[in-house]
Amino acid sequence: MTLPDKGRSVPARYKTAVLQRRQLSPGTVQLDLVRPHGFEFTAGQKIRLYRGNVSRDYSLASAPTAPFLSICVRIVAKGVLSPVLGAAKKNDSFSFTGPHGYFVFHPSNRHPVFVATGTGIAPFASICRSGVSGVTLLHGVRDLKQRYYAELFNRSAKQYVACLGSRKNPAQGTYPGRVTDFLAEKLPPGDYDFYLCGRREMIRDATWIIDDRFSGARIYTEIFY
Amino acid sequence: MKIYTGSGDRGKTSLFSGERVSKGDLRIEAYGDVDELNAMLGALAATAPPEAPELGEEIRRIQSDLFHLGAWLATTPDSPSAGMLKKLSEDAARLLEADIDRMENGLPALTGFILPGGHRAAAWAHVARTICRRAERRVVVLTERENHAEPLSAVLVYLNRLSDYLFVLSRHINRIAGVEDILWKP
Ligand SMILES: Cc1cc2nc3c(=O)[nH]c(=O)nc-3n(C[C@H](O)[C@H](O)[C@H](O)COP(=O)(O)OP(=O)(O)OC[C@H]3O[C@@H](n4cnc5c(N)ncnc54)[C@H](O)[C@@H]3O)c2cc1C
Repeated sequence: MTLPDKGRSVPARYKTAVLQRRQLSPGTVQLDLVRPHGFEFTAGQKIRLYRGNVSRDYSLASAPTAPFLSICVRIVAKGVLSPVLGAAKKNDSFSFTGPHGYFVFHPSNRHPVFVATGTGIAPFASICRSGVSGVTLLHGVRDLKQRYYAELFNRSAKQYVACLGSRKNPAQGTYPGRVTDFLAEKLPPGDYDFYLCGRREMIRDATWIIDDRFSGARIYTEIFY
Repeated sequence: MKIYTGSGDRGKTSLFSGERVSKGDLRIEAYGDVDELNAMLGALAATAPPEAPELGEEIRRIQSDLFHLGAWLATTPDSPSAGMLKKLSEDAARLLEADIDRMENGLPALTGFILPGGHRAAAWAHVARTICRRAERRVVVLTERENHAEPLSAVLVYLNRLSDYLFVLSRHINRIAGVEDILWKP
C-alpha cells in the first residue's frame, strides 16, 4: 500500500547546488550537493529533485550526519533529467523536496540481506554509512567497473557479493549469476529481513524466491524503475 | 512513483511492516475496507450539493485520516515500522463529534427509521456508512485475533464515530438540498 509521508501533507522545498561531481563508473556519477540548513533525513530515504517542470526521485547515498548530500545517478541514454545531472558542474542549482519514503533500516533479530541492482545500491550506502554493519549485501552489476562503493561495503558488510549476471569468468569476490540466482541457490536457509532496491523485475523475482525459500522473512522494497 | 512490480501476482502481499501475507488475510480485508470507504467518500464529495461548500474540505480531512488508519492496519503493532507511523490520537474522533453536533443542531428530531436515499450525495453517504460498519466489524475480529488493544482501539473509536457522522451527514445533505427524509413505514 502507499503511505502518506509522515505527518506532512506538503513537503518542504529546498534549494541546493552542486559541490562536486565524481565519476563512479562509466555511466554513473555521484553528485555531492549543498545540504540546506535544517534538512534532516533517515538513512535510506530519498529526495525529489526538480529542474524546471521535471522532477525525479533519488535516494540519498550519504550518511544522515554528513555535511553534504550525495546522490548516485545512472545516466540513462535519452533520459530527461539524468543526463543533465551527469553533466552538472559545480554551483549548478536545483531544488528538491524531502525527505520522502519509508525504505529505512529496521533492526531486528533476523539477519539483514540487502539486494540491489545498479544504482539501487545508493540507499544501502547511506544505511551502512549511518553505522549499520554485519549485513549480507548482493549487488547486481553489469561488469566489475560498476562495483561502486565496494570499499565501504567490504568494510561494513559481513558478506558483500557483486553478482555479475553472466555465468562466465567469475572474478574474485563475485558471483557468476544474477542476485536472484544467488538468493535461489546460495543463500543458506535462515531467518532474514530482505531489503530489495532497484529494477522492478528483480524485486518481483526476488520476492517470489523469498516466498518459496524463506517463509517468515520480512521484505522491504524500493522500486527505482 | 512506480506502481507495479507484479510481486503480488501469486496472491501474496507485503505488509508495511514487511511480513508476507495472503491477500485474503484479515488485515488486508480490513485495510481494503478502509480503502473502499475512502473511495466512496471521494464519490460523495464529487456529488456534494453546492449549498454545502464546506463539505469538500471536511471530507478531505477524513480521507486523510483514513490513510493513517489504513497504514496502522497494514502494520503489525509491535514491529519497528509502527514507530514510523503518525500516532492515532483521539482528536480526530473529537473533530467528528464536533461535526456531528454542528449538523444535528439544524436537523429535525428523528421520529422513526429512515430509508437510505434522497439526494445523490446523501445516498453515497449511506453507502459509505455501511462500508464503514463493515470495516469496523473486520477490525473488531482483527483485534480479537491479534490481542492488540493498541492502536486498534483508536481505529475502532474512529470508525464507530465516522459511521455516526455519515448517518447524520446524509440527513444534513438532504436538508440543505431540500429533500425530505423518507420514513420507514413498517
Ligand atoms: C524511489 C526512487 C528512487 C530512485 N533513486 C535513484 C537513484 O538513487 N539513482 C538513480 O540513478 N536513479 C534513481 N531513481 C530513478 C530516477 O528517478 C529516474 O527515473 C532516472 O534518473 C531516469 O530519469 P530520466 O529523466 O533521465 O529518464 P526518463 O526519461 O524518465 O526515462 C526513464 C527510463 O530510464 C530507465 N531508468 C530509470 N532509472 C534508472 C536507473 N537508475 N538505472 C538504469 N536505468 C534507469 C528506465 O528504463 C526508465 O523507464 C529512483 C527512482 C525512484 C522511484
